[in-house]
Formats: sequence, structure tokens, C-alpha cells
Amino acid sequence: MINKIVDFPSRATFSSMKSAKNLNVAIAARGVEMVFSSGAGSYHALKNINLDIRKGDIQLLMGPSGSGKTTLLSILAGILTPTAGSVSLLGKEITNLSKQKLAEFRLKNIGFIFQGFNLFPALTAIENIELALNLQGIKGKKAKEESYFLLSQVGLASKAHSLPRDLSGGQKQRVAIARSLTGHPPLIMADEPTAALDSHSGHAVTELLRKLAKEEGCTVLMVTHDPRIVDVADRIVYLEDGVLVDS
Amino acid sequence: MVSIARKNLFEDIPRFLVAQAGIMLAVTLVTIQTGVLKGFSLSTGLLIDQSQADIWVGSKDMVHLELTKPILYEQYIQAQQVEGVAMAEPLMLGPGFWSSQNGELTPLKLFGFNSEGKLFVPGKITTGNVKDLKQPLSIIADQSSLDSLKLQKINDVGQLRSLPAKLVGITRDTQSIAASTFIFTSLENANVYVNSGLTSKVNCTVENNDFNCTTTFEKKPEKNKNSESEMPIIEPLTATDPITYVLVKAKPGQDLEQLKQRLEKALPNTKAYTTPEMAQKTRDYWTKRTGVGFILGMGATVGVVVGMVVVGQILYTSVSDHLKEFGTLKAMGASNKVIYGVILEQAVWMAVLGYIPGMLLCVGLSHWALQTQGIMILITPITAGGVLGLTVLMCVGSALFAIQKVTSVDPAIVFKA
Repeated sequence: MINKIVDFPSRATFSSMKSAKNLNVAIAARGVEMVFSSGAGSYHALKNINLDIRKGDIQLLMGPSGSGKTTLLSILAGILTPTAGSVSLLGKEITNLSKQKLAEFRLKNIGFIFQGFNLFPALTAIENIELALNLQGIKGKKAKEESYFLLSQVGLASKAHSLPRDLSGGQKQRVAIARSLTGHPPLIMADEPTAALDSHSGHAVTELLRKLAKEEGCTVLMVTHDPRIVDVADRIVYLEDGVLVDS
Repeated sequence: MVSIARKNLFEDIPRFLVAQAGIMLAVTLVTIQTGVLKGFSLSTGLLIDQSQADIWVGSKDMVHLELTKPILYEQYIQAQQVEGVAMAEPLMLGPGFWSSQNGELTPLKLFGFNSEGKLFVPGKITTGNVKDLKQPLSIIADQSSLDSLKLQKINDVGQLRSLPAKLVGITRDTQSIAASTFIFTSLENANVYVNSGLTSKVNCTVENNDFNCTTTFEKKPEKNKNSESEMPIIEPLTATDPITYVLVKAKPGQDLEQLKQRLEKALPNTKAYTTPEMAQKTRDYWTKRTGVGFILGMGATVGVVVGMVVVGQILYTSVSDHLKEFGTLKAMGASNKVIYGVILEQAVWMAVLGYIPGMLLCVGLSHWALQTQGIMILITPITAGGVLGLTVLMCVGSALFAIQKVTSVDPAIVFKA
């Protein structure tokens, strides 16, 4: 833990995106607020979030349940639009993009890893990856070869034609990681990637994520409760009641 | 592209089979209803379609083939003299009832025609010969009616009205679904069966240059029976005997419209129709004026609605079950077009895979109904193609409900374990 850097919430809010670029920042959030409204009232989920994540870093986002981690991840991934503030990914302001443009941006730049794996149960391991490639316009033989290569990378070539139900939790998550690598995205967003895994599988997945960042140059933003991952993280930020706090 | 739609469909085979059974049922319902409607319509005019006549001349009050007033045999004779007529033949229709050997009664419609003629065709003879109708009190019946008439084979005998009737031939493709059982015999036999004991009287007057005739049929004295055998004497028809239609073959190159006018002028109180007009008039009556067309059409509509509800429900459930997958696709950056494509592809697969067994079932049912019940369920290639189009439309239409569900899905659900 000694060699970890803990980011504190920046007081210098709304610094320009230009400065974020200069600092080699992959993900930048400025003054992000999120308020969920319902008939009964409103809930302030995120309050004045300011965050810079450097390219090639493994950044952990930790905090208790209900603190707003997943909401922040959704906003930083361009899935949710914040009530206020702005988000810049790879130097591109995404907050004001249309849904279609956001979808295109995610497709080209972000790989997702989910706690529940989110594999398509009717598709085999290789087809799950092939589908992701198809969405990026890579089809036919090339997509098959690329899918097989990615499965090999995560050590699951022998399970290429297995359905998710025939795979263990760790194997499913490795397939999901292989899927997130399609198109070589510069950003990986992971939500509790080891939460559903045993110790051994969790370690394997953690190692894979580390390799992704250090050997492939990906920026990995990870929401987690898992202390095992802390060892591979470059930076950790804590979220509590919607506010970034000291560790 | 990997077909997630098809794979999702086959992932849960029992549920897939239940879903397909629903679509198959809808396809069957629509096909059978429209087939019955078309078969019904076709069957009411089958005998008209099969005739070799160019023109049918009947009473001016004729409503359809079986609902008309009689005309005189004399008008058949006169028709032969009309310019442009190559050939004319009389046709007599009359009501009757059949008493089988166990005394069971069956209502019937008797067709009397020239058994040596060419213009009236009593269906497709499968057993026996039309010329055998020259035998006194002999008949030909449609094979679909044999069971109800309690007849099994040639030379079986039943009773038509109060007279015996011997089966000398079996035919097919004649029976109208809307009518009582059709029986075919010679003109002379029909005259005996239908008009036995009746005589006619014609009174004509001229009013405002119009020549109006009224034919009255009266009970004959009992002098026409063979006293020894109590059997009627079969005689050729006379000018005053009633018939129903005169079938006319025009000389080659004749303008049928002009010939119709000449026939109507030469034969007072009659109206002439070309064969297609006659068939259409009969079909229009049954499909439009009786409400049968409406009822069967409504059945087909209900079939479509039921199908849409079934398919809609199935697709909606399927989409709900796979909502997180659609959310994942959205999160990964799949466009709405891709996601809608998945749902629509699933709908088309369901349509096609429900249609094929549904249509096979309908074809089997239609053969069975025709062979055993004499009921025609007409499934033409156009009907089959139309139902396929309708099924796809129905499934795609239903998919739109499911698409609504996906459109509103929050991609953030992907982060919920």
C-alpha cells in the first residue's frame, strides 16, 4: 500500500480540457453532478466530482455500497449523462454528444468488463467475441481468427466452442476480458470484475488486467471492493456518499 | 454476423416449441378461415365454371344458381332458333329429399340435364358413365355425398321423393358447401322426380307494349302412372314443362353481349348471363348477401389478431428475458439499428418456422376435409404466399412492441450484477 498514490478530490474545479490533454490524461471529470429524480423526490448521487486518470494507469474506484461508484463509472463510460459537469475521454468532450455518437465512441474506444460477466448465454465463447468484432465491422474469417487469437490470449482456446453455462466463473470472466479487448480499445471500464470469482480465478483475472495496462497500454478504470486488486493498482480513489474523499 | 436472434430462439427448445405452436395455430386459423371462405365461394359456382356453355339463360328473377323461377321447355326450343346460337341445352333444377334404406331423410338438389349433351358437365366422373343416366330413375351422386345418402357402390338404390333411384355413376368436385346434396340425372328422369303430378299453364298479356307471361303449375290427375307397376312413365319433355335454365353455346366469333340481348328479346321474362357472370352472381350472393363471407372473413381477422397477440406476447417475453443482453449490446456501442435488427430477425425466424408446419397442417386438413366431408378448403399458391406475408407482417408488427421495451432500456443496467 505504501507505493500507492491516493487521489484527493481536486479543489481546482473546472480546469480546462486542454490542460487535461497536456497532462496525458485519458479520463477527466470536471464538476460532475448526478441527481436522480423520482415522483417522491430527488437523490443526489454524485456531488462535484473532479478526477483525472492518466493514460496506461490502473485506477481503482473504491467505496462502500451505495456510494455512487457504479453511477460514476457509468458516467465516465458515457453510458449515463451527468446532471451537471463534463467528462472528457481521450481528450474528447463526451458530455454533449448525441446518444448515437456516444455509442460510436464507446464502440471504438471502450472495452467493458462486468461483475456478472454479461456474456450472451446462447453464444459460444468464440461467438461472444465474434459478435463484438462484428459490431466493429470485422466479419467473416477475419473475425473468427481474431476471436480465436483473443481467446488464446486469455488461455481459453480450448473452450472456444463452449457455451457460457459450461464455463466456470473465472473462465467466463476471461472470455469477457477477451471480448473487451476486441478492436484494441484504449480504455477498459470494469465493474467489480473479481467479485463473483474465487481466489484463484480472481488472481488470474487481476493479472490479466495488469498485463492489459502495462503491456497493451490500456487505461483501466475499475470499480471494486476486492482488496486483492489493490496490489496491481497505480491509483485508488474513494467515493463516499457521492463525494470523492481521502483514503 | 453472429445471429444472436437465431441462437436466442433455439437456446430454450421447450419454450421455442411452445412459441412456435402459438404461431402455427395462428397460421392455421388464418389459412383455414380464408381457405374455407375461398373454398365456399368457389364451390357455389363449381358447376357453372365446369359447364361448356357460353351463356346461361334463366328467369329474369333469378337470384343465384339455385334460387330462381322456372322457365318453359319451349324457351329452350326457341333459343335454338336464335341467330348466333350454335347449340342449346336445357337444364332443370329441382328440390327433393332422399330416403335411404334405413328411412333417413336427406335434403337434396336435383340437376336434370341432357345426358348426351355437351354443355352441362356434372363434375369429374370417377365411376360409371353419364350415358347410363338414360336408364329410367337412375342418378349420379358426388362421392362426398355417398355417406349421407347411405350409398356405397354402383347399382345401390335409394328413394328420391317417392320414387326409387339407382346409382349409376359417381362424380366429384361438384358439391356446393352452401347447398343441400347435389344429385344428377337425365332431364327426363328429373322431370319425373321433380314435376311428377304437376302440369303448367301459361297466361300472357300485353301491357304498354310489354309482353308479360305468368306460368302456373298445377297438380295433374293421376293418369301418368303405369298402373301395373305403379311406376311413372318416363317421357320426353313437352313445350309446357318447366325447366330452369337454357345453356347456350355461341357460334364461333359471336359477340356474346349482342347474343345475350337477342336471347333476352326472343325469350320473354328471361335474362341471359355469360358463364363468368353467372358464376360471379352466384358467388356474390353467397359471400356478400348471406353474411357467410363476413363471418368467415371475421374468423380470418380474428386469426390475425390472435396471431399478433400470441407472437407479440412471445417476443415481448423473449426480449424481457434477454433485456440485460440488449443492455450489454447498447453499452458496447451497438446502434439501435443493430438491436432492432436482432429483434426483427427473431420475429422473421419465428414467422417462417411457425408458418411451415402450420401450412403443412392446413394442406393436410384441406385434403382430409375434401375427401371425408366434401368441404373444400381452398389453399392456392396465392393464399399460401399471402399467409406467409401476413405471418411475417404479424410477427414484425408484434416485434414493434418488443422494440419499445428495448428502446427504453437503460444501458446502465449492465452494471447491476
